[in-house]
Amino acid sequence: MPSYILVFAQSHSEFRIPELESVAQLHGFAITLPLECDPLRPFMVLDLASEEHARLLAGRCILIKHIYEFYAQGGDYEELHVVNKANGHLWSSYAHDTSFKFLVTAYNHKIPQRRQRDVVESFSYMAFAGKIDMKNPQIVLGCFEEYDSSTGLRQDRDSKFRQVYFGRLVIDGSARALIKMFDVKKRLYYGNTSMESEVSLLMANQALASSSKLVYDPFCGTGSMAYPIAYFGAQVFGSDIDGRQMRGKAGKDQPPGVLRAAKQYGVADRIVDLCTFDVTRNPWRCGDLFDTIVTDPPYGVRAGAKRLGRKKELSEDKKAANIEHQMSARNKEEPYVPPTKPYELSLLAADLVLLARYLLKPEGRLVFFLPTVNEQYEEVDIQAMLCDGMVLVANSLQDFGSWGRRLVTIRKATHESYPPPCFEEERDPDARIPAHKDFREQYFRGFKKENDVQ
Amino acid sequence: MVRLITHNLLACHVKGCTSNNFPLEFKDVQVVLRESEFNPDFLRGFIPKLEWPALVGAARELGDTSLPDQLPEMLDDDFLKTLHHVLLEIHVEEGIMICPNCKHNYPVSNGIPNMLLAEHEIG
Repeated sequence: MPSYILVFAQSHSEFRIPELESVAQLHGFAITLPLECDPLRPFMVLDLASEEHARLLAGRCILIKHIYEFYAQGGDYEELHVVNKANGHLWSSYAHDTSFKFLVTAYNHKIPQRRQRDVVESFSYMAFAGKIDMKNPQIVLGCFEEYDSSTGLRQDRDSKFRQVYFGRLVIDGSARALIKMFDVKKRLYYGNTSMESEVSLLMANQALASSSKLVYDPFCGTGSMAYPIAYFGAQVFGSDIDGRQMRGKAGKDQPPGVLRAAKQYGVADRIVDLCTFDVTRNPWRCGDLFDTIVTDPPYGVRAGAKRLGRKKELSEDKKAANIEHQMSARNKEEPYVPPTKPYELSLLAADLVLLARYLLKPEGRLVFFLPTVNEQYEEVDIQAMLCDGMVLVANSLQDFGSWGRRLVTIRKATHESYPPPCFEEERDPDARIPAHKDFREQYFRGFKKENDVQ
Repeated sequence: MVRLITHNLLACHVKGCTSNNFPLEFKDVQVVLRESEFNPDFLRGFIPKLEWPALVGAARELGDTSLPDQLPEMLDDDFLKTLHHVLLEIHVEEGIMICPNCKHNYPVSNGIPNMLLAEHEIG
């Protein structure tokens, strides 16, 4: 199998491999990761069945900047050249009269120009006779030095790279352009909880969004997730307990805010419907409906999650008076707004997995963000959320220092149908307290232990 | 919005209202027709989930009589185009959806149905 060098974008490193695997699955092929695969490193040498697979990955992976056909690598140039000479069959056909450009660059370092020239010279044995064309070359040859860190003086660091890679450019990643296209600041409708575009696109890839799929976001808010998912061809349902989030303030003369933004991206038609309801009191007639449930639940820093109900029960007298009020309010101009209470995050997350098991088709995916306190986080926090039939696919941290949010991907690995969850409000008192419990309170305490504060 | 595909998936969920709670009946509706991209694969995948008589009834309530009483066995393109129109191109923008059993009113405003329950309905 031919090998390829993947050049990754320098962000969201934990998301790279899950994204690769998801996009490969979406296109119906599997990838075999190299044995020693460190997702934190910016280059990866990967075997692929064909160049076509490389093109499919580069067309959809948000985190791929370029894909090169692999010619050689090494801990130093001597090693690299030995491999490159042995792989002459890969490049010899270009040697005769193909115009080319030679790129010498580095990660965590800037190579002095004089040495760049020396590096190019060191490849002279390849005897490329075609003309050098910096603007429109027929092929681009790339040589990448990988430095572990950019600390210290540049001249001290130079040449002390960890690994050097060499290959021919197959294709630039085209999906990264979507980050700009979905830029929240240029969106016609957004709120203070809208998800930044790069991350929403990563979620859409984890969601395996594509034509003919039906996707549901139960905490739809201002619709951040709906746009990229619909852009990739899927049909999207959104619901939210707070209809104002989906509508915006423009009033009845204009379409709801989510639809205005969807129209801007040309995907309004794929927003099947938006509904106002509490997902713990949902009107779905049956289960096994959706290919994916993808959502960014409100975790409380800017807006806490809510569910129907009251923090404190009313007395019997007050209850009776209240019902009377509710009945009469139905008929007036002002719609009745039922009381809501906070929906604690660890209960919400556990409910979400149960709900997904009910609502997803077999092999469907649940993709959602879960904020956690980094110091307290343990892998068991995620494992403990799973239930029969639901299997963890990926768990990628976006690190903000003392806290972070984890993009969790779970698969419904069963063909059995399950009943809807009962959304209980009590937890098992003996269970471990996960690092995302009462996240909002912990956030505003600055992630100090409860006793330290007073 | 509300499209009939959605209407076909929503049941009354007031506490204790568990039978004859579907399909919701339309009242005082404003309907808008909007063209939508035809996706036969999506439709074929969704048909097993449909409650056919409920869809036929809802379409007829809104004045569209193009669907046959029975789901045909042959899903040819002509039929799929008819189904596409009924499921995805008829939008209820304003009105009320009423539970046939408990008579709960679910209002639709600016295309968005309010399926929230009142305090006494969640138990």
